[in-house]
Amino acid sequence: MHAIPSPANQDSVNHPQRRVVITGIGAVAPNGIGKEAYWKATCKGVSGIKPVQRFSTADLPVQVAGEITDFSLDGVIDRKLAKRTDRVTHFALVAIHEALADAKLVLQEENPRRVGAVIASTLGGVEYVLSEFAAMLRDGPRAMSAYTAIAWLQVANVGQTSIRYGIQGYSKAPVNDLAGGLDALGMAAGAIRRGAAEIIITGGSEAMIHPFTFLVLARKGHIMAGADPNAYRPFDCRAAGLVMAEGAGICILEEYEHARRRGAPIYGEIVGYGQTNDAHALASAPSDGKYYARALKQALREGNIRPDEVGYVSADGRALPGADQGEAEALRLTFGERLAALPVSIPRTATGHSYAAAGALDAITALLALQHGCIPPTLNCEELDPRYGLDVVRGEGRPFSRPVVLLGGRSTGGANVAVAIRKI
Amino acid sequence: MAFPSTRRVVITGLGVVAPNGIGKCAFWEACLAGRSGIRHITQFDASFLSTRIAGEVPDFAPEALGLTPEECTQLDRNTQFAVAAANLALQDACLSKNLTEEERDQMGVYMGTAMASNEEAERVWKQLTADGAQPLRDRDEVPISSTFMLYHSPAAAIAIHHHLHGPCTALSTGCSAGADAIGQAFWAIQEGRASRMLAGGSDSAICSGGLNVFNVMGAMSTRNEAPERASRPYDAGRDGFVMAEGAGVLLLEDRNLALARGAHIYAELLTFASNINAYHMTSLPKDGMPLQQLLLQVLEEAGITPADLDYINSHGSSTPANEPAETTAYKAVFGEQAYHIPISATKSMIGHTQGAASAIEAVVTALAVDQQILPPTINQEERDPQCDLDYVPNVARRSSVQIALTHSSGFGGVNSALLLAKPEWVDAQLAGVR
Repeated sequence: MHAIPSPANQDSVNHPQRRVVITGIGAVAPNGIGKEAYWKATCKGVSGIKPVQRFSTADLPVQVAGEITDFSLDGVIDRKLAKRTDRVTHFALVAIHEALADAKLVLQEENPRRVGAVIASTLGGVEYVLSEFAAMLRDGPRAMSAYTAIAWLQVANVGQTSIRYGIQGYSKAPVNDLAGGLDALGMAAGAIRRGAAEIIITGGSEAMIHPFTFLVLARKGHIMAGADPNAYRPFDCRAAGLVMAEGAGICILEEYEHARRRGAPIYGEIVGYGQTNDAHALASAPSDGKYYARALKQALREGNIRPDEVGYVSADGRALPGADQGEAEALRLTFGERLAALPVSIPRTATGHSYAAAGALDAITALLALQHGCIPPTLNCEELDPRYGLDVVRGEGRPFSRPVVLLGGRSTGGANVAVAIRKI
Repeated sequence: MAFPSTRRVVITGLGVVAPNGIGKCAFWEACLAGRSGIRHITQFDASFLSTRIAGEVPDFAPEALGLTPEECTQLDRNTQFAVAAANLALQDACLSKNLTEEERDQMGVYMGTAMASNEEAERVWKQLTADGAQPLRDRDEVPISSTFMLYHSPAAAIAIHHHLHGPCTALSTGCSAGADAIGQAFWAIQEGRASRMLAGGSDSAICSGGLNVFNVMGAMSTRNEAPERASRPYDAGRDGFVMAEGAGVLLLEDRNLALARGAHIYAELLTFASNINAYHMTSLPKDGMPLQQLLLQVLEEAGITPADLDYINSHGSSTPANEPAETTAYKAVFGEQAYHIPISATKSMIGHTQGAASAIEAVVTALAVDQQILPPTINQEERDPQCDLDYVPNVARRSSVQIALTHSSGFGGVNSALLLAKPEWVDAQLAGVR
């Protein structure tokens, strides 16, 4: 007997109300490792951007970054695995370790085929491969470690997660530049929604603070040159770009009924996801907000969200005049006259932009903000440009009680990603 | 996030840039003739490496394939392959010139890539370090492509070229990346996130580091004296995969749109399924258990039995461990029927195009369904007793193909499968159900 070709559709007919909630979070950020330390720093606006310690920046165009320091793998992975994996996977595994414990999830009790991992990264294990490539140039092809490819490729994060935790379900390694982590959340939520998995370990991890990336990305204008730790200033009159950071943000996404059955703590629900593309150029986001607005509206529509339910917008804040203009325009197209009274914040000004980790950390910030009823502030925006017409939360955190946070992210090359999270 | 419809998704355009042919016709003709695209490496001096053969795309002329002068200079080779393959797919679908703004708003791009701009990274690193002899130092005279360090650029550049405003992202799940991109695109159309999607994969990493990372793992063939015979999945003499480059892009379309415009439909997508090994970063367990589970999932989700499967385009990477694991999984899931399902491995002719491989294999599978011909697995000379199924050895074969499966096992452990069917078969099933 043959069924209707699409089982997923059948499934969605059988489960029209399947919902996706977040039951655990893990953060590795420059201003705090672990959700408690991260939230404490972020809600108070304590910055983790400092002079780079891992290598000399004397001959480099960039001297500051959001670097992870005091980082320990103790109790998470052993030395052997640590040596066979890059820093990017270390960050991911530490954040996953925290998130699983936070979710009170005992994976041994779950069907491993219904548990997956969707973890974004932009440059994967770039430090590992460059070091091995340098060894090869210096000492010949046999000098390269046999673990190079395993440590380098973006898929290493989900591959190692799968091996470590024995999970065998739907797993992906999305790459979408600065918006990769937010995109991963949307992709994972979609997979649970359609029944491809019950639990997905998702988010982003990035460890691309390296002399080579500094040279290349500063030359191309993707990150800012200089030594000013307060230079990342979205929507400020002096905005001139972003400061790079590293880290990981991991969320445990779970089908709502599954989470309820096991009595899991629930931070919130992913209720909407939108993605569009400006398709303008391989450059930073344009001053036109038309397609970004469409992504934001998609996320609101999917979540059946009334504009007055949105507590704040966690904005992309590219901190370039054109891109900031485009974002303000998109928000105006989305919220109309309500925009003037809608708080907007870019809490990642306290960490720097951790590329694929950023959107996932933003989501974690939003979940903690909903829990604590506090919008974390945007740093360094002392001279807010009035032409944007935005209420940017500056100085101190601000209390709020509305149930929804709308997150936006944009990538070089035009992707606009929006995710809406609702408190349950 | 409810799905607004139960839309059917069909394949209406095919674009290929492969070592044995550029464009659907040249590529398909080469595949049916069993022509290998593996040669001695010419793109760099590989004399110091233990593997000196690869599947290079010869005579790649980006302008002739519709890239702008700016794209020809500003995009790295991998991204150029992707844009060229997308152009070919749109042309093939008769949509390259006449998309309206509304249609472009509803059209997106998902692309898989494993190595992205690695070739460019190697060039720039060598130039900024005097071939590794000096510390890294910026040199203004060293040009850097606009795609460098943008791993998602194959997807983004296609969207930019064609002004496509739907969802756009890249996936980097190793050798399964292309199939994953196609699968996600299939879902995006089903879920109403787009009406059409360009989806596939691309890679170009025939460079010293790109090869050597796999050489030091002992994963590659060293049959340097006979390049065309080096990639030999299932054959007893296989000794590792052969690196290759290329791109494959498919145009996926909401079936109603395709029917309304009278488009040629190659095949309908029935199922996308995916899992991960939880075993090892680079190999399947001997019993192919994760693949067994994947195959069972595909059968169950599509509501078919092994007897319904008319063709499998396999991962067939030509490594000693992969093919016995695959064969064991087929037998475990399909039973006696495994001996009656023809299986062929495209990598025997073009090598392993990394993130492009599973997309190019999806192109082959769509053509097999459309043309009712099975391309061969070449270099079948000495039978491996562990691999005793019908691998369509050496010669293409006419065959009735209503349902075909293509699957891949990626670096990192991701396994993905796509199930394709003749649209008439689906119509008949639906009529029967109703």
